[in-house]
Amino acid sequence: MQPGRLVGLVPMLGLLVLWQVAVLMHLYPQVLLPPPAKVAAAFSQFGPSIAANTLASVTRVLIGISLAFIVAVPAGLLIGRYQVLDRLTNWSIQTFRSVPPISLIPMAMLFFGIGDTPAIVLIFLSGLWPLLLNTIFGVRGIERTMLKVATAAGASEALILRDIIWPAVLPNIFTGLRLAVGGGWLTVVTAEMIAVKSGLGYMILNAQMTFRPELIFAGIIVIGGIGLLGDYAVHRLRVVACAWQEGLTAHAD
Amino acid sequence: MSGFIECIDVGKTYRGRTGAVEALRGISISCAEGEFVCLLGLSGCGKSTLLQMIAGLETPSTGQIIVDGRELDGPSPAASIVFQDHGLFPWMSVRTNVEFNMKARGVPAAERRERGEEMLALTGLSGFATRYPHELSGGMRQRVGIARALTTRPRALLMDEPFGALDAQTRGRLQSELLDIWAAQRTTVLFVTHSIDEAVFLADRILVFTPRPGRLSADVDVDLPRPRDPRSAGFAHIARGLRAALGTEGGSE
Repeated sequence: MQPGRLVGLVPMLGLLVLWQVAVLMHLYPQVLLPPPAKVAAAFSQFGPSIAANTLASVTRVLIGISLAFIVAVPAGLLIGRYQVLDRLTNWSIQTFRSVPPISLIPMAMLFFGIGDTPAIVLIFLSGLWPLLLNTIFGVRGIERTMLKVATAAGASEALILRDIIWPAVLPNIFTGLRLAVGGGWLTVVTAEMIAVKSGLGYMILNAQMTFRPELIFAGIIVIGGIGLLGDYAVHRLRVVACAWQEGLTAHAD
Repeated sequence: MSGFIECIDVGKTYRGRTGAVEALRGISISCAEGEFVCLLGLSGCGKSTLLQMIAGLETPSTGQIIVDGRELDGPSPAASIVFQDHGLFPWMSVRTNVEFNMKARGVPAAERRERGEEMLALTGLSGFATRYPHELSGGMRQRVGIARALTTRPRALLMDEPFGALDAQTRGRLQSELLDIWAAQRTTVLFVTHSIDEAVFLADRILVFTPRPGRLSADVDVDLPRPRDPRSAGFAHIARGLRAALGTEGGSE
């Protein structure tokens, strides 16, 4: 960690201070706005429950985004490479990607009932489009000279896809993955409030019904924290996978 | 005619949204094996288009191109191409870049490594095998492009303004090195340039192109002994003739 990186904690600490001040000034009754200390206590009081629900949410996102990756990346490579596939799919992609996954919750519940399946399907859909579009965009942006070199050398289509297009597009795929993970995380929390009986979304909705505001706050903190971690994980993965980009781009992150 | 590279009444017309653009008309040329031929002309005269057609990257609209006794229907295994913007793969080390053309032709890994090392040594890149392209200077990158092209023992080396983006000093050095390589490898070289001095310094024969549509306007033998001195009277005499043939008194360099 380089010096100065921790400066990112300043706004968070500032918010914590404001929160404590608001509590001390009794801006809201304490039953609605629990003090930070009480929320911290909730973490130990409800620890196992928070951990189990976090695991449930994270698992759903991992499964949903993995499935989206497996489908979107190969499809995107082919659509980007072959104009006929682009013509075939472009309108459909633009149509379906405009539908927010959340709006499909009622339909997903009709088809798949209540449980993991509808949530995973919705996460899959929220990850599919950013991954697909970024992959297609990446293939189209490949420097033409590189493809000419490969063609002139007599490289097979399989070699061009594997050795040229795939590595060239990898940075774009990671951009797509970053958006997919973020979108998937938003979707899972919402889906869990409606279509599943476990996970962080379900936990905070349940905390509201059983009137435990400190648990709502704890849940929100976990959701935000996992979101940050997920984004950082994708970023680190990108740095490792695209090590060759070091020194090529303007910013390290 | 029975040259190693033959173009017979070759023409190229591009059809775009704004109508048809005739890039080349009625080009007939013949290059003997081992000859160093420069294609000289101003921008837009179609010389690069002709080179790309000889490389099998584009197809002529009329006429036929024969390389090594066979009419082209794609890139010829007897030829290699070098581009001005070199088309190096930024995610591959110098060594992997140099080995790519051999990989495309199914050369076994051990042989690739051995031949790659040879060509790295020939082009003065031995100490740079594990570097990435962006860590090299422009001149070094073009050396990598040349080394990569030479690995497959091409009988024709097609060069599309390879030194056009380099500073004068680097350019001069690479020109001399190219002549050394040519003398050692005995390959036919087809070299596109817009620089009169470069053409006279390098070529056995200079084909002059004029634009709109691209046509062959002169075929000049250069019978000066090598190494050639750009300040000599013979050099100046040929350069003057070429300037007249290009129809640009005091034009490009």
